[in-house]
Amino acid sequence: MHIREINIHGQEFQLHPYGAAYWKERSTLLIADVHLGKATHFRKNGMAVPEETMFEPYKKLEAVCERFKPETLCFLGDLFHSYINNEWLLFETWVRNATPELILVTGNHDIIPEHKLEAVGVSIKDEWCIGSFLLTHEPCEKTAYFNICGHIHPGIRLKGPGRQTLKLPCFFQKEKQLILPAFGEFTGKYIMSPDKTDRVFAVTPEEVVLVSGE
Amino acid sequence: MNTGEIIAASGLWFERRGWKPFPFQKQTWEAFLKGKNGLLNAPTGSGKTYALWVPIAMSLKHDLETPGTEKGGVKAIWITPLRALSLEIAQAAKAFADHLDIGLEVGIRTGDTSQKERAAQRKKMPDLLITTPESLHLLLASKNHAKYFKNCRAIVADEWHELMGSKRGVQTELAISRLKTLCPQMRIWGISATIGNLEQARAVLLGPDSGHLKNSVLIMARLNKRIQVKSVLPEKMEKFPWRGHLGIHLLDEVIPILRESRSTLLFTNTRSQCEIWFQAILSKYPEFAGEIAMHHGSIDKKTRLWVENAIRNDSLKAVVCTSSLDLGVDFAPVETIIQIGGPKGVARFLQRAGRSGHQPGKESKIWFLPTHAMELIEASALKKAVKEKAVEDRIPYLLCYDVLIQYLTSLAVSDGFYPETLYPEITSTFCFQGLTPEAWQWVLNFITMGSQTLREYDEYRKVEIMDDGLFKVNSRGVAMRHRLSIGTIVSDAMLTVKYLKGGYLGHIEEWFISKLQPGDTFTFAGRNLELFRIKQMQVLVKRSKKKTAKVPSWMGGRMSFSSQMSALLREELYGINAPEQPSLSEELKALHPVFERQRKESVVPGPQEFLIETFKTREGYHTIFYPFEGRFVHEAMASLLAYRISLLHPISFSLAFNDYGFELLSDQAMDIEQVLDNNLFSTSYVHEDLQKSLNSTEMARRKFRDIAVISGLVFQGYPDKQLKSKHLQSSSQLFFNVFRDFEPDNLLYLQAFRETFEHSLEEGRLIQALERIGKQEIVWRNCERPTPFSFPIITDRLREKLSSEKLADRIRKMKLQLEK
Repeated sequence: MHIREINIHGQEFQLHPYGAAYWKERSTLLIADVHLGKATHFRKNGMAVPEETMFEPYKKLEAVCERFKPETLCFLGDLFHSYINNEWLLFETWVRNATPELILVTGNHDIIPEHKLEAVGVSIKDEWCIGSFLLTHEPCEKTAYFNICGHIHPGIRLKGPGRQTLKLPCFFQKEKQLILPAFGEFTGKYIMSPDKTDRVFAVTPEEVVLVSGE
Repeated sequence: MNTGEIIAASGLWFERRGWKPFPFQKQTWEAFLKGKNGLLNAPTGSGKTYALWVPIAMSLKHDLETPGTEKGGVKAIWITPLRALSLEIAQAAKAFADHLDIGLEVGIRTGDTSQKERAAQRKKMPDLLITTPESLHLLLASKNHAKYFKNCRAIVADEWHELMGSKRGVQTELAISRLKTLCPQMRIWGISATIGNLEQARAVLLGPDSGHLKNSVLIMARLNKRIQVKSVLPEKMEKFPWRGHLGIHLLDEVIPILRESRSTLLFTNTRSQCEIWFQAILSKYPEFAGEIAMHHGSIDKKTRLWVENAIRNDSLKAVVCTSSLDLGVDFAPVETIIQIGGPKGVARFLQRAGRSGHQPGKESKIWFLPTHAMELIEASALKKAVKEKAVEDRIPYLLCYDVLIQYLTSLAVSDGFYPETLYPEITSTFCFQGLTPEAWQWVLNFITMGSQTLREYDEYRKVEIMDDGLFKVNSRGVAMRHRLSIGTIVSDAMLTVKYLKGGYLGHIEEWFISKLQPGDTFTFAGRNLELFRIKQMQVLVKRSKKKTAKVPSWMGGRMSFSSQMSALLREELYGINAPEQPSLSEELKALHPVFERQRKESVVPGPQEFLIETFKTREGYHTIFYPFEGRFVHEAMASLLAYRISLLHPISFSLAFNDYGFELLSDQAMDIEQVLDNNLFSTSYVHEDLQKSLNSTEMARRKFRDIAVISGLVFQGYPDKQLKSKHLQSSSQLFFNVFRDFEPDNLLYLQAFRETFEHSLEEGRLIQALERIGKQEIVWRNCERPTPFSFPIITDRLREKLSSEKLADRIRKMKLQLEK
């Protein structure tokens, strides 16, 4: 696993191939669009997603926590895909054993009552301002801040010699914004159209590769 | 009345209309009245409807006049592949039913039937029910369906050759297996155009080793229609394009044919080609305005019906159409057919030819219009194929777990089922004759637990097992979603095209519209339209005065040459090098300048030679192989070879193929000596290597798309309620990935690979082709520039990819492709 470091407003962010971004100065790990409970939600409605998929996000969460040992883990929305289902039990167990402080900036899919989350020790915020940074779920264009967000599930299309093409998830950085790829496995992606000033980091299972911008 | 009297009475009805029953019609009447099942081989528009409806109706009359006969429910079922055909069949059937004057009711139940009419039918079923396989399954998914069918005496699968080669054929097999139990006295008949495997078609329909099959006949119409095939040739061959698929350059040659003929159908291979030809004729020859029309599957149903009627009334000079006019009853005034581009199948070509010259004694006339030079070889081979009636087989599907899962869920949605009683019914079908008890248990586990073992916290809910062992769906949500997704024709999401001011134009695929911006102009239904906006599932448009417009392209199925057709093609091609050429066809003579050019740049291979060409262009290093074995074999061979080369060193390929050969394109030069030295055309380990190559290409993934939808893994959404189902939407791609990673032994996942082998790759033919290549001398030409033979292949945009390079390494060689 190769980490890619970038600098924004004098702060260092480490981009991980799983789609997580670690904010070094604040010891905060940022993760967007985990969509926990999606497999169970589908299964409850008669669509047989393999049950094993529900354990994957926890394996990945443990791996990134082990790697960065963050003091805070902030989910940028869409932590849960749906209403409470049996995957909540898995989540509770994971929260109980998690070392970092857990914060959820809520998103459009987060319909689980706040008190339920707070009861297990997850703090809830609509948005979170830290210094000149604004953490949200949906992209936000408030000019005074640098916005870090999720929601879009950004992806990128690449074209190479010999008529080769690839579509990959990516970190998408604009002048005043960083959009994280979806952390959840069972999700799609939205293909972005970057302009010259945008920086695009394509995500492969092993590496984070800069494919556009300086 | 005995059989003889019935036949005499029916013959009288024919005579009163000035018709004379064909021998095949009388034969079918007799066989049916004797209680036989069977398959009738008769072309479209030959009076095949009366061959079966007459004896069915006559025996119904006999039964109904016998005191004590039960009168409720459906008496006969007529299955048709196209909704559009149901109306014509109903009209024909009604004419004879009215003549009998015993109150026989004819009804239609398809996707177009209104809710109100369906409800009325549920109260009182028509005597003859005309329906599609999907709608029949929907009936099987309704409560108390047994009572609708208990008095059914006959089922007819019309255009069985169309159904049999698709999963809708499997649906039909399953429905028949159920009806055999519900109505034991039912006779089963099929009607099929000529295909290579008619005997097999009969066994698939009636069930292998079944009592029905033993008590059955195969009746051949043998109408011996004479067919005249000609090619549309340009005056000067020098300007004939080497590539392309439109054929517009021959427009001026087509016009005299249209003028001379009373009425002409121009068959195109895609809907976009259809739109382009229609526009091109009108803009260059405006005098045809009002005399020509267009017909394809995306056009509004009312317009289509209007066009069909206008053909019958002789009020149109020409219609540009697609396969949408392949089937259906007579278009008597049609004198001439023009086939634009390769029909990719002798059966289809014959079927289309048969749409012309319907009057007794007249011959069918079909023109073949080649869209690029190489297609002239195909034209020459087609002529021979028509003469020799070298018609393809339709390959029936085996072990379609996706269709089985859908069917079992349908039964569970209705009254439920007991597996022990159902298993023998299912294994009596052709498709599931090899269904093992283990696979059966797997399927039952899948629909009840969503997996193979029950886990404590799992909340999977679809089919439940009741205390007495009945398999049943109790959730209303599951039942509703299932009813909405029944059907095996899988297509992209379709959007409705409407004028801003109101007025419906037709349906269009979402992926085309998603590439347009408001204000863009596109051609649809023969008009230039400006996109105003997309609202929910509607595309709102205005008329546009702009002359240039984008033309939507529709993804159609790509067909491949059969082995017989490929052999004919090679024969034609090899004939060119023969010293004596007394019998060279006009097409091959016309191709002379192209062959000269090919000889200058490379060679025209002979029967003992296998040609490989290499050259470099801006795109990269091209290597072209020419086995002349048909598209499917080339697709398989290209993946096999690319996979084997990629084992030698890390390399990425883009693969293209057509009916003549295939291309491996790479950013690295390829060492042909190395390919030959390593014996990469070897037939050993073909199956294993193909299996591995499939993991790295998209072929199996594409097959899985249909499987995921049919088996209910992917839900396409409620009509007009797009947003509500969003939480349940996912793509078949995601399912493919999670099965690959977590359940690689899932039968639905494995089915995608098996279908690729059985229906797309034709492994058996691949091995034969490799053996043939093994005996040929390999002729490798390093060319300066693309050759005439290579042109149609290297310009093909629909490609496969295969790579053994590391993802990150590939990315580093790439640039961003900006969305347009």
